[in-house]
Amino acid sequence: MKEIDYVALYAKSLKEDNRLFEQQKRLIESQLQGSSSLFKRMFSPNFKANARQYLRKIGLI
Amino acid sequence: MRKGYHLKGDTIIINRELTKLDLFVKDFLDILKKHSDYLLVSGFVSISSGRTRGTEDVDILVPVMDKNTFEKLFKDLQKGGFWCYQADSAEEVYSYIKNLQNIRFARVKEMFPNMELIPITEKRKAKFFEFAHPQKMMVQEFEFKIPPLEFEILYKELVLGGQKDFADAKHLRTFFADIIKKEKFKEYEPIIRSEL
Repeated sequence: MKEIDYVALYAKSLKEDNRLFEQQKRLIESQLQGSSSLFKRMFSPNFKANARQYLRKIGLI
Repeated sequence: MRKGYHLKGDTIIINRELTKLDLFVKDFLDILKKHSDYLLVSGFVSISSGRTRGTEDVDILVPVMDKNTFEKLFKDLQKGGFWCYQADSAEEVYSYIKNLQNIRFARVKEMFPNMELIPITEKRKAKFFEFAHPQKMMVQEFEFKIPPLEFEILYKELVLGGQKDFADAKHLRTFFADIIKKEKFKEYEPIIRSEL
């Protein structure tokens, strides 16, 4: 099964059964928690200055 | 068990709990709405309707505003616990807005998620069209504006065109199959193609 078929199957199931939203919530929040911890470790104690230096390096600002 | 969404008048109600991503967007919009209109576009539209994927940016269209309004917005965002990637001075950041360059805000001491403000004018025909034809969506007590579904789907397929965008479009086409109108695709396609 291709990824795009899985996307369609999931969306079709979700359309009929909102309980599937629970697993989506867990995934989103776990990603946010992981990213938050990572960048706090990388950039503290001068979070903003270090973050901007990183953002310049990757060409985002 | 309930359906994934239902309609209440013109509003699409998504039948799910709020996530931390929703609360981040809601906090930002509560401040932004005091100063400007907006339209949430792209990844957040798919994710808020159940697409299971990670995201770092929440894209939001905002009409170009005057410097005075922007300074008030910028100060309120800072007071509300957001920092701007580009700079700490409203004057410095306003030069980006004036030049139609995107700017980003995140919560203090966080990198992601961030709100990516995309300044628009009437000259950006497709973007201005979707901005002027919002669709209301609601999750619990959080109401927000997105593009017409058919517009969002076509934009992802015709303009963005990456693997992630096609998957987002497929999700929207399938999840909202019962309310999508074929004739709207025909109406929107030339408007979207004008941006290519």
